[in-house]
Amino acid sequence: MTDTNDDIIEILNPADSFTLAMDEEIRKDGLPGSYGCVALELDQTPDIETLKQRIAEFAEQFPVVTASLQQRGRRFYWCKRELAPLLFYHHPCPENQTETDFHQTTIDQIINHKEDRETIAPIEFHLLTGQTQNTFFCRWIHPISDARGADLILKYLCTESPEQRQKFGQPKSKALVFVQLDKYRWWQKITLLLKGKRYIDKVDQLQSIQPFINSDSAAEKLEYTIQRLTVEQTELVTKLARKHVGLTGTSLYYIGCLMRALDKLNPQAEGDAYCTPYAFNLRKQRALSPITGNHVCALFAQAPRDIVQDRQALFAHLKQQNTEVIRQQQDYAFLPLMWAGSWLSLAEYGKTLRLSYGSQKERSSFWFSDIGRLDIPGDGFPGANIDAVFYVCQVTSPPGLAFLSCIYQNQLTLSYNFVRPLATAEEIEILHQTVLAELLDQS
Amino acid sequence: MKKKLRDFIFQELVFVAAPEQFSDDDDLLEAGLDSMGIMRLIMHIENEFGITLPDTEIEPENVQSFNALEQWILKHKNG
Repeated sequence: MTDTNDDIIEILNPADSFTLAMDEEIRKDGLPGSYGCVALELDQTPDIETLKQRIAEFAEQFPVVTASLQQRGRRFYWCKRELAPLLFYHHPCPENQTETDFHQTTIDQIINHKEDRETIAPIEFHLLTGQTQNTFFCRWIHPISDARGADLILKYLCTESPEQRQKFGQPKSKALVFVQLDKYRWWQKITLLLKGKRYIDKVDQLQSIQPFINSDSAAEKLEYTIQRLTVEQTELVTKLARKHVGLTGTSLYYIGCLMRALDKLNPQAEGDAYCTPYAFNLRKQRALSPITGNHVCALFAQAPRDIVQDRQALFAHLKQQNTEVIRQQQDYAFLPLMWAGSWLSLAEYGKTLRLSYGSQKERSSFWFSDIGRLDIPGDGFPGANIDAVFYVCQVTSPPGLAFLSCIYQNQLTLSYNFVRPLATAEEIEILHQTVLAELLDQS
Repeated sequence: MKKKLRDFIFQELVFVAAPEQFSDDDDLLEAGLDSMGIMRLIMHIENEFGITLPDTEIEPENVQSFNALEQWILKHKNG
């Protein structure tokens, strides 16, 4: 820390503080922190020099991505470092290792790498190369960006024209959380805050069911399984989602299917309801700004067990719940709550975010994020085509399960992120088969 | 009515580089209006125009352009 604050680049916004509190919780659970990761599977080794040059240009245009996250008093700031961290790593496959094994172990190391919050690079780019498999893997710590921001970073790297790349991050504006908050007068903010508090109180009336039986076991490491549906299966899932939850509720269809699969596999699990937090993004679709920072607000989807067991009733319930939340502006009610939370210590904030008020047990049955339909150009990556995309993220333990979805080139990709020893790859495979049957309405 | 819809969509939901060149028949779904955006748009329309849009009518053909949205709103405003 310096005596002056000359090294401060920017202060964390309330949504960044929200993800920072979760970073602290994940670290307290013995895992590396709140990492978000995206992988691009490439058809060949890309143009490494061009890639390095674009990453360097990106770091120059957005210096916060090389900053150090530091606490000054109660607040957290992105601060300049004397020596910028390395952002790009090239991992060629050694001759004595199979490519599949090499990719698996390297990604495993990247997502489980432990480093202090102050020294870790906010974002890193890893290129794994081999004769037949090439993966571009980006890992970020969540306070620097949300998944939609990471999407923009990938688009930046896939943009050939230097003039077009300069347009990213423009126009500069305040964090979108503040832009939204500024629309309300102070008494309206208090009303919203109370509304948000009542909404969480209502969610907390039901104890959340945990996804795994041994949910209290000490966390060892994060593992993940990627499952990609065919184009035909994806079309069918989209049709079924439209039928059950309408044009506005695709994410709710995925959530409902996972809830049902978990309940089928563990019908005796303790608790009253399945509950999952999910973020909605305040960014405008297709906007190139803001590129860094978190611009999200949280919502919960919750369904009591008896409703989960009735497929039709479950989707009707989730849709009704979501409509009510938006109709009553309970979603925006989280904005003043996040602002207030950013003044708490990380420990207090983390406890508030994770634990139900009454029972003091974990509020989330699993974490969920639907990144949606990606529009990264397949032929835009320097010197290679993008064949497929998947996401990975760290998660607190409990619940020890994060379910991520995205659609790229008309294929739905599901990412199951789970904490060992709470679950094994074999158990997740069974879970996926059950989820798939639900998604395809073949249960 | 369309001006109000354009202002809301372009200020809150979807970025287009040149809104003035986006015609009333251009495809809003292609432009990036997603499921969450549609939900917000419907809530905005209901508050702004004092109508209720039935869930059963939330179909692509009713939300895919400014002209389609106007027709959908008028149907319920006049009914």
